[in-house]
Amino acid sequence: MVEEAETAAVPDRPWVTVVWNDPVNLMEYVTHVFMEYFGYDRDKATALMLDVHHEGRAAVSNGSREEMERDVEAMHGYGLWATMTKDE
Amino acid sequence: MGFGDRRGFHRKRDGTLELRLDPEEAAVLADLLGQVQAMVEPEESQDPDPLAQLVDVGPGERPADPALLRLFPDGYSEDDDASADFRRFTERRLRESKAARLAVADAVLARVPRLGPRTAVVITAAEAGALLGSLNDVRLVLGVRLGIERDDQDVTQAWAPEDPRWVTYTAYQWLTWLQSSLLDCLGNR
Repeated sequence: MVEEAETAAVPDRPWVTVVWNDPVNLMEYVTHVFMEYFGYDRDKATALMLDVHHEGRAAVSNGSREEMERDVEAMHGYGLWATMTKDE
Repeated sequence: MGFGDRRGFHRKRDGTLELRLDPEEAAVLADLLGQVQAMVEPEESQDPDPLAQLVDVGPGERPADPALLRLFPDGYSEDDDASADFRRFTERRLRESKAARLAVADAVLARVPRLGPRTAVVITAAEAGALLGSLNDVRLVLGVRLGIERDDQDVTQAWAPEDPRWVTYTAYQWLTWLQSSLLDCLGNR
């Protein structure tokens, strides 16, 4: 009897969108973008913005690769500097 | 509070959003928008086949101009191949979207009187969004041209009074004020 080879289902590794600090974007603008695009409330958007500002970068969303490419493209549309990476 | 010198963006009590610019300010802004528009407008597709044009993906190479690179950064920080693919599929779309936004901003500016006293131009929410993004794009480009690379950096430190970069710097400062003025209106809904 030949055993079927088991193929373990490999979950899509979670991906993360990272926004990086930059010296031109206004803090209020970054907060506005996070509220408008992600739908975060002002408190959460401000906290993320402050993370970007003080830490140099912050993870602003996570999900599938396709979802993160969409988010990164949107961030670039707004003029934010964003990249995506695998959430290790 | 006095009405005094109401400049830039203002939201009236009834929610109407207005813009007031001097003719000189409108001219400077129109010129800057035009410069950025020329930079971002996508090139015509080289492929004569209409189907290929429809699915035309752009080049994957990073732009050589640092200002363009700032407007269209890499999508992956540690994967040049993935970044090139991402750029191939997104840069053209981003260019079109930014160009369209700049065109809306242009159209608003065309309503600002070029003679006479500063008067209010009423703008829609959609126009406000286009102006916000366009002002930001112009500031990003000027920031690169001025060499602004870090927070709290004084790029003007070593400039002589007659340095021509002061003109660009003054424009950058004014645009920062104008964008803040718009954000103030949008934030207090």
